[in-house]
Amino acid sequence: MTLRWLAAALACAALAAVPLIAPSAFRQFGTEALLLASLAQAWNILGGYAGYPSFGNSAFYGLGTYGTAVMMARFHQPFAVGLACGASLAVACACAVGVPILRLRGPYFAIVTLGLSAMLAAIVRNLAIAGRNIGLILPLTRKDTLFYELALGLLVAATATVALLAQSRFGAGLVAIRENEEAAAVMGVATTRYKVAALSLAALITAIAGGIHAYWITFVDPASAFDGSLNVKMVIMAVFGGPGTVLGPVVGALLLSGISEVLASTISTMASLFYGVVIVVAVLFMPKGLWDAGRELRRRGLPYFGENLRRYRL
Amino acid sequence: MTDGTPILEARGLTKRFRGLTALERLTFQLGRGEILGLIGPNGAGKTTLVSLISGTLWPTEGEIYFEGRRIDRLPPHERAHRGIGRTFQVMKPFPGLSVLENVAVGALFGRGGGERHRSRARERALRCLEFTGLASRAYDRAEALTGPDRKRLELAKGLALQPKLLLLDEVMAGLHPAEVDEVVVLIRKVRADGVSILVIEHVMRAIRELADRLLVLHHGEPIAEGHPDEVLSHPRVIEAYLGRRRA
Amino acid sequence: MALFVQIVVNGVLVGGLYGLMALGMGLVWGVLNIVNLTHGALIMLGGYTVYYLYVRAGLDPFAALPVAMLGLFGLGYVLQRFVLGSIARSPLLNTLLVTFGLEVVATYLAQLAFSADLRTINPPYAGQRLAIGGVVVPLVPAAAFGAALLLAFGLWIALGHTRTGRAIRASAQNLGAARLYGVNPRRIFALTFGTGAALAGAAGGLYGLVAQLNPYMGNSLTPKSFVIAILGGLDRPLGVIAGGLALGVAEALTGAYLASTYVDAISFGLLVLLLVARTSRLIRSA
Repeated sequence: MTLRWLAAALACAALAAVPLIAPSAFRQFGTEALLLASLAQAWNILGGYAGYPSFGNSAFYGLGTYGTAVMMARFHQPFAVGLACGASLAVACACAVGVPILRLRGPYFAIVTLGLSAMLAAIVRNLAIAGRNIGLILPLTRKDTLFYELALGLLVAATATVALLAQSRFGAGLVAIRENEEAAAVMGVATTRYKVAALSLAALITAIAGGIHAYWITFVDPASAFDGSLNVKMVIMAVFGGPGTVLGPVVGALLLSGISEVLASTISTMASLFYGVVIVVAVLFMPKGLWDAGRELRRRGLPYFGENLRRYRL
Repeated sequence: MTDGTPILEARGLTKRFRGLTALERLTFQLGRGEILGLIGPNGAGKTTLVSLISGTLWPTEGEIYFEGRRIDRLPPHERAHRGIGRTFQVMKPFPGLSVLENVAVGALFGRGGGERHRSRARERALRCLEFTGLASRAYDRAEALTGPDRKRLELAKGLALQPKLLLLDEVMAGLHPAEVDEVVVLIRKVRADGVSILVIEHVMRAIRELADRLLVLHHGEPIAEGHPDEVLSHPRVIEAYLGRRRA
Repeated sequence: MALFVQIVVNGVLVGGLYGLMALGMGLVWGVLNIVNLTHGALIMLGGYTVYYLYVRAGLDPFAALPVAMLGLFGLGYVLQRFVLGSIARSPLLNTLLVTFGLEVVATYLAQLAFSADLRTINPPYAGQRLAIGGVVVPLVPAAAFGAALLLAFGLWIALGHTRTGRAIRASAQNLGAARLYGVNPRRIFALTFGTGAALAGAAGGLYGLVAQLNPYMGNSLTPKSFVIAILGGLDRPLGVIAGGLALGVAEALTGAYLASTYVDAISFGLLVLLLVARTSRLIRSA
């Protein structure tokens, strides 16, 4: 057990040291990838553990982005204050919206989250304080390494949270909700409370990622803050990597980011296509994600893929 | 056996769905440590009643009292915390989890809020599995269980909550006579531990042996109540079953 | 007052299209239990098909509709038969994910093939208007509305009065029993999905006549279709069309009396609220 924590600490230290030796282009890729991994991990809490797939976490990302941006650009507050504002907005939204929408099952919930993100983007477009469609510009910092380390720190914090959650009573409750919500309720799991808590936790992590990104890029506008393609990416990364596991989403995110980066240098902006194809293939042949596939392949070999097809087809 | 204040009481309980009345002004009591059998032809409203007591459904009219306090508007998890446990007729395991983890959920969230630590919950879960004879399958996937073992799992899950009131919904359906006898023994042991039990059953032999009292429902209304022998020979009851009596 | 009526009429005309879109989605959902997140992309593809048939082959848009419908039907049939059918029995999330992924792929390919420019289908008679009782009704949107209603009616007839239609409805209610009566699930499901896709394609073609086509239009049309479908009762044409009309009118009123920038906000806000209210009511009564 302690061996695992030691290995994790070593990995973190190694990752933290990377920007000191790598070229700046890699630092940029690294920061993006780490932020995406955090988003995937945040999604994992509600989507992987509790089984409520949100297709609109970009709503919280946008709130985090704008909270930070408005505080820093309009009120000239330091970054920490901006982050706190963004995070608070996102958590408040999660609590307010969570209770009604988490009563919805599967597809209803998914679609409502889609609509939520679009709605928030549309509202922000009309707010003068947020710069309407033009957006806001934040103060500039040239410390690239800072953002890398911040993103890494967020990912470590998010993963540690999920690791603790997986062992906790709260985590057991979320899993019970996922496996059979009615039975969970009757056995004493306060389902609504737990779901809202999971959503709020996801919102918090997602918003902080948005805030970091905002300060890093120094420019925000509704389109990029509430970017729909982020939803695609975080869901695919988490599901591809292994929903409901601690490291699955991280592996999925880093792997997919890496591959898409390689592809991007050869074929321009194929990102969407790549992610779309990945998710279709992954769901068809390894619906439980990379993590589970890795485990089962060792046991059963290639037939694993065919089995999934046979088990689930009409 | 019974001691004064009933542990469960329903007054004028009515449940209507769109166009269908499942229960009509049902009033009854269940005493502490009593085993009340609930029988009636299919569609009589038995499972609806259990859902109303456990909190999955809310009544259209009427009230339910548990240990003297009203519970009919409480969410299901609250009722579990107060000590009401149920099994499901259409079994509802947590498919992706092991048998032990299934039962551990009950231990983690049951009466009084359950255990705080997963390790203690697992210990209690193991004891429940031993009680129901499933200990050897503790680490199997729950969805791999078949028939009688699934019933045992349902029972173990209900017990893990440390309930004061246990609602059993057709735990004996599909069991061999020998297995039925085993379950009867188990239920008696549960009652001996101080649990009050409401049993829904179609297996008449078992219900006759187990129940202190029987309540018969037909089309959502009570048509007979009393000692099993009296009730089962009551002409209206026989008529309700259309002469189909299972020995 | 006259202006108000005018706006409502415009809203109704677009609303008819929304209703048609929702019908396609609701049909697939009601029968196959698939929430098809690709629906918006299918609408978009239908729109571009009609556009290119008109621009390249000179085919009148209304005549091009059946062609587009046929093409989309084929696409849908293949999708269901070979892709979605392969995961039909896995948890619903997987279908959501696959259709989500397909939507992303389709949008990307469309943007590659058609560029992100906004396009409208502009037949020579586009500018004409009808005057009905003091209200000006532009010809093309009116014709599109008429076509949408016709298709909805056709669907209702097909589902209710043809053998295949009845097989589809039977499968929706009880697949096991339907099988016993000789229904081949794979074929029926593929047929149903194809029909849903065909309806989406037609809606897209009609949409191109009254609004603008762009590769990303599916992103907002899918959620709208979804909510209208739920509120209208999935595969009940009357309810769904009514829901579409309501949304169309709401959007038109918002655009005219508030500002066009608020349209999306109000539109989605309404949808979210209605959905939550509707499902809450369902839960309370349980």
